[in-house]
Amino acid sequence: MVYKIGDNITSPLGSSTEQNYKAVIDGCSALALHQGRWDIPEDFCASLFNDEQVEELAQDGLSRLESLAVSSIRKAIQGLSIDLSSNRVVLILSSAKGNVEDLTLDVSTAEGSLPSTAAKHIAESLGMTTMPIAVCNACISGVSAITLGKRLLEVGTYDYAIVCGADCQSKFVVSGFQSLKSMSDEPCRPFDEERLGLNLGEAAATLVLSNKATEASCWSIESAAVANDANHLTNPSKTGEGCYQAIRKTLDGRDIDDIAFINAHGTATMYNDQMESVAIERAELNSVPVNALKGYFGHTMGAAGVLETVLCMYALDHNIIIGTRGYNEIGVSGEIDVCKETTPTQKQSFLKLISGFGGCNGVLLASRCDDALANVATSHSSSKTLKQLHRVHVTPQCIEVDGKKLDLDCSEKDILTVAYKTLINDYAKFYKMDKLCRLGFVATELLLQAEGKDRYVECQDRAVVLFNRHSSVVADIEYLKSISDKENYFPSPSAFIYTLPNIVTGEIAIRNKYHGETVFYVLPEKNTEMMNAITHTAFADKTIRSVISGWLDYDEKGNFEADLAIVCEEDMNNIG
Amino acid sequence: MEELILKLKQEIIEVLNLEDITPEDIDNDAPLFGEDGLGLDSIDALELIVLIEKNYGIKLKDPAEGKEIFKSINVMADYIAKNKTK
Repeated sequence: MVYKIGDNITSPLGSSTEQNYKAVIDGCSALALHQGRWDIPEDFCASLFNDEQVEELAQDGLSRLESLAVSSIRKAIQGLSIDLSSNRVVLILSSAKGNVEDLTLDVSTAEGSLPSTAAKHIAESLGMTTMPIAVCNACISGVSAITLGKRLLEVGTYDYAIVCGADCQSKFVVSGFQSLKSMSDEPCRPFDEERLGLNLGEAAATLVLSNKATEASCWSIESAAVANDANHLTNPSKTGEGCYQAIRKTLDGRDIDDIAFINAHGTATMYNDQMESVAIERAELNSVPVNALKGYFGHTMGAAGVLETVLCMYALDHNIIIGTRGYNEIGVSGEIDVCKETTPTQKQSFLKLISGFGGCNGVLLASRCDDALANVATSHSSSKTLKQLHRVHVTPQCIEVDGKKLDLDCSEKDILTVAYKTLINDYAKFYKMDKLCRLGFVATELLLQAEGKDRYVECQDRAVVLFNRHSSVVADIEYLKSISDKENYFPSPSAFIYTLPNIVTGEIAIRNKYHGETVFYVLPEKNTEMMNAITHTAFADKTIRSVISGWLDYDEKGNFEADLAIVCEEDMNNIG
Repeated sequence: MEELILKLKQEIIEVLNLEDITPEDIDNDAPLFGEDGLGLDSIDALELIVLIEKNYGIKLKDPAEGKEIFKSINVMADYIAKNKTK
C-alpha cells in the first residue's frame, strides 16, 4: 500500500491545494480568451498564469516550468520530515513537453528544452541526489507517474516518491492543438451536447507518496493500470477499448460500492468524452456519478493526472463530489450520470480516468483509509529477475539482432530505410513516421522477427516500456520550423503529433495490436540499472507476461541508438 | 484543370510522404480516405487542410467541411479551382 503524505496544487487559481479547492467550490475558473498572445494569429481560450504570478514563482537560474515545479514541491513537502538528499527519495516529473518553450531553431537550445534537463534542474535545486525520472506519456503522464511511484515504493526501491506534474503553455503547444482543430474558443463543456473542444492550461501539482502512513486517516493509491487502444495515434477507440481495459485491471474484482465518483479525463473534445462514456458503460459503472475538472483548469497536460487526483482527494475529505463546470445537457451516447452540481457523498474512494495521444489510457483508484497507521508496510520485493529473450541494437553504423550483425548495403540510403525496405517493407506508414518512430519501428520489427511468433493478433499481455534522453527533440525542431516564420506560419498537425516521445509506443501498439501498458520515460542518461528497475515494475500489472523494453534515443545532431529487448520475468520462463 | 490535378497530386504525395506512389497511381475519382483508395486517415485530412491554405489560400474553419472537399482528387481540384485566392 502506498500513501499520500503531502500535496500541492499551483495553478492560476492559487498556489495551495486549499486555495484551488476553495476556488473550484466557488465555481471559479481562470479560463479566458487570449488574443495575439505569443504572436499566435488565432485567438485561444486557456488558463494561464498572469505576469504577477509568473514573477512570484520565478526562481533564479530555473526556467518557468522548473520554477513552477520547485515551488509546488517545496509546498508539498512543507512540514514533512523527509531528507531530500537521501538515496531513498526519488523525483518523478510528469511533463508532456518539459521546457519546450525555450527551444529555438538554434540546435544549441535543444539540451535545455528536454524534460530530462528540467527534471535534473528541479532535483538539483531541491538538493536531491538520486536520478530523477521524467514521464513523458502524453496527457496520461500524471497517472503514469503516480503508477510508477506506487510500484517503486511497493517493491522497496525507494521510501518516498515525489510525483510532480507540470506543464507550461507556449506558442509551440497552443499552435499544435490549433492545427489539430481540437480547441474551443470558449470555456470547455465536458460531456455537454454543445461541447466544441478543449482548452489548455498551466499548472503544477505534487503528490508526495510514502510506503508508510503518517496519520491515522489518509489517502492511499489502491491500484492503478495503463492500457493501450492499439487503434489510432490521436483518435480514441470508438469502443473505449484501452480505457475499459484499464478500468477493469484497476478494479480487478474490487468492490465498487464505495466509489463516490469517477473523475473522467473529460477534455470536452467530441471524441474523448464520447469514448469515456462508452468505456464507463462497458465497465458497468453507469450508476457511479462522473465529473470532469477541465472547466476550472483547462487541460493542464502533464499536470492533469496529478492535479485532478489531488483535488478529488480534497473533495472527498470534505465529503463532496465537485460539479462539472461547463456541463449542461448530456452529449455522449454511453449511459453515464454526469455530476453537474457539487453533490454531497459519504463514500470514501474515487476512480480517476485519463487518456492521451498514442492511444494510452490510465486509471487509478484512490481510497481514504481511516486506520492507515494500523497497516504495516509490506514491500513485496519479488525474487524474480528479468530475463532477456531477444535483443536488437541499432546505431547509424550497424544493426545487431541477438548479437549477430546484419549485412545491409547502406551506400545509398540511411540504415533505417534500408532495413525497412529489405527486411520489412509491408507498412507504408513507416514513411510518415518521424525519425524516433522509424527507429523504434525498425528495432521492434526485427525483435519480433527474431521472436518468430504469430504476429498481429490481439494481445493483452505485452507492455512497451521505452526510455531515452533526448525525448522527441528531432520532431520538436521539425514542428518548430512550421511555426517559426511569421510570413509562412502553417503549423503542421502531422509534425506536431510526433512531438510526444510516447507516440512511438503507440505506433508499436497499433502495428502489433498490443493492448498492454505503453509508457515512455526520459532520463538524464542511459542507466541500465534504473531502466531494469522500472521495467521490472511493469510486471506489477498481473496481465503482463512480457515487455518490449529498452533505450530508444535520437538526438538533434543525428546520433541515434536503439537498444531494445523482449524481457520476461525469470521464473515464468526458466523451464527448459 | 489537368495541370491543377497533376500539381495537386504531387503536393499530396509530398506533404503526406506517400512513398512509392506516383501521380499516375492516384485515380482522379477514387476516394482518398478509407480502405479503398489511398487509405488516408484523419491526421492526413488535417494536413490537407493546411495544404489548401498554404498553397491556395483557402481557409477551412470547420474541419468537417474537409469530408466533402477531400472526397476525391476531382472534387478537391474542382473546389480549389472555384475558391482559391492565390
